[in-house]
Amino acid sequence: MNELENDRRAIHQQVGLSGEAPDRSISITRRTFLHRSLVLGGASAAACGLFPLMNTLDLAYAAEAGGETFKFAWISDTHLYPKELNSRFVEKTIRAIKEVQALDPPADFLIFGGDLAQLADPVELALGAELLNELKIKKVFIPGEHDWYLDLGANWNKRFGASPWFFDHKGVRFIGLDTVSKAVDFWTARKYTPAERMGHMATLDGTLGGAWAAVGDKDLKWLDSTLRSWDKAKPVVIFSHNPLYEYYPPWNFWVRDWREVNEIVKPYSNVTNIHGHCHQVLYNEVGKMRSIGMLATSWPWPYAPEGVPKLTKPMVRADPGDHFDAQGWAKLTWNKDKLDNEYMMWRGKDGFFAEAAVDSGTGDNRNQVLSPRIVDRL
Amino acid sequence: MKNYRYALTAIAAALLVAASTSTWAHKEKHTAEQLQAFEDVFLEQVKLGDALFHGDPAAVKQMGVTLSETGMACAMCHPFAADIHPHEFPKFQEHMNEFATLRDMINWCIEKPSQGEKISSDSQAMKALEAYIYWSNRNSKLDPGRH
Repeated sequence: MNELENDRRAIHQQVGLSGEAPDRSISITRRTFLHRSLVLGGASAAACGLFPLMNTLDLAYAAEAGGETFKFAWISDTHLYPKELNSRFVEKTIRAIKEVQALDPPADFLIFGGDLAQLADPVELALGAELLNELKIKKVFIPGEHDWYLDLGANWNKRFGASPWFFDHKGVRFIGLDTVSKAVDFWTARKYTPAERMGHMATLDGTLGGAWAAVGDKDLKWLDSTLRSWDKAKPVVIFSHNPLYEYYPPWNFWVRDWREVNEIVKPYSNVTNIHGHCHQVLYNEVGKMRSIGMLATSWPWPYAPEGVPKLTKPMVRADPGDHFDAQGWAKLTWNKDKLDNEYMMWRGKDGFFAEAAVDSGTGDNRNQVLSPRIVDRL
Repeated sequence: MKNYRYALTAIAAALLVAASTSTWAHKEKHTAEQLQAFEDVFLEQVKLGDALFHGDPAAVKQMGVTLSETGMACAMCHPFAADIHPHEFPKFQEHMNEFATLRDMINWCIEKPSQGEKISSDSQAMKALEAYIYWSNRNSKLDPGRH
C-alpha cells in the first residue's frame, strides 16, 4: 500500500464516522442507472447518477417544509482561448449555453463553476462574458485557477463578482466558494512575470503551484457563520471549483483544508457539493456531505492514477477523435422521492457509464504506473 | 543552442565508451562515469520531451515543430502522461483503425485533437516525446497488444 492510500485510510477513519452518510431525502439517481439501494441507504448504491458539464438539478425540499421543485444549470471549464486561436472551445461553450437557454420551463439560474478562460487573458474573459450574455437567466459565478493567476483575480472579480457568496432559493441555501486564490506565493521570490505565474498555474501536473487548492481560514470562518443561520435539516448546496475532499492532490483534485470543511458541515444533514476542475464523472461521500464532479465543455481529464472514489461509477473512456465526447449535459427532475437524471449526452447513443473494466476510464489502467514530470522540478 | 548541448552530451558519452580498452560495450566493465553519461543522454531527451509535451514555446521553437495550432498541449489531456498506455503498444488502435506503434499514435494525436502538423517518426522531437512518455510510465508493466 502506498503512502497516499495510507493517508486516505487514516483520514476516513477520522472523519468517515461509522454509519454516517448524507441524508437520503435528497437522492440522486439516473433513469438508465437506477439505484434502488441508494434510496435504501446502501453504501454501494452511492455510485450513482452524476452529471456532466452542464447539468440541471431539480432539488425538492420536503413539501411540508415549504420547499418547491425547481431546476438550475451548471456549466464550467470552458477554458476559452481567444476565438481566433481555438474555435472548438468557443463552439462547445456556445452549444452548452444554447442548450441551457432552450430548457422549457427554464432553469431558475446558471452556476458557472470556474475556468471560463485558459490563461486569464482579458480577451478570454471578455469572450466568455460575451458568450454567457446570450443566456437570459440569472447567472452566478465562482472562479477557477485559469481565471485568476494572471492578475490575481482583478479582472475576474470586476466582471463576475467576488466569492464567497450565498443566497437562499426555494428552501435551499446555495453557497459559492473560491477555492483557487490561496496558492502559496512561489512567484515573487523568483521574479516571475504574471504570464509566467499563470503558465505554471495553468499546468495541471505542474509542480511549482503546489497544493494551491484551499478554502482558506478566512472563508472557512465565513462558511461556518453562514451555515449557523440555516436550519440544520434544510438542504445546502455548496459550489466549488475543486472537490471538497481528497481525490488526487498532485493535480489539486481536492482542497487541502477539506477536513475543516467537513467539520463545519457535519451538523447539517443535507449537504451537496457540486464541483468542476476534474473534467470527469465523480461521486463521493465523506461524512454527511456528498460531492458530485462535473464534466468540462473543453476536454476530459483522465481519471487520476489513484484515489478515484470507490463510490464513483466511472464513465467510458473518451474518444479523442470526437472533440465533443465525454461532455454533455443532464436534466434532473424530482419525482416524488428521488431525483431522476436524464443525460443529454453529446456522445450520442453509446453508453456513458462503463459496465466493464475494459471500457472504464479507470478500470483499463490496470498496468499503468505514472511519475510526476521532471522538467519543472526545482 | 540546446541542440549543441544534446549533441555534446551524446558525444561525451561516446568518447567515454571509446576511451575504454574496447570500443564495444560489455567486453569491459562500465565505469561510473560511463553509466552516468548514458543516463545523461537519456534524461536530456526526457526533459526535452517533457517540455514539448507541455507546450513549452522555447522547446517547440527549438525543434521547429507545430504540435498544435490551437493552444493545445499533449499534457492537457494527459497529465503525467496518463492514459497514453505506452506499455500497450504496438496494438490495434481502434480510432485509427490500424495496427499502430506509439509513434503512430503520437502523430495521430498531434494531427487530430491537437490540430497540429505531424512530425517525422524518426525526428528528434518524436524521440524526445517518446522518451518522456516512456520515462513517465517506466514502472508500468509491459502489456503489448492489450486494448
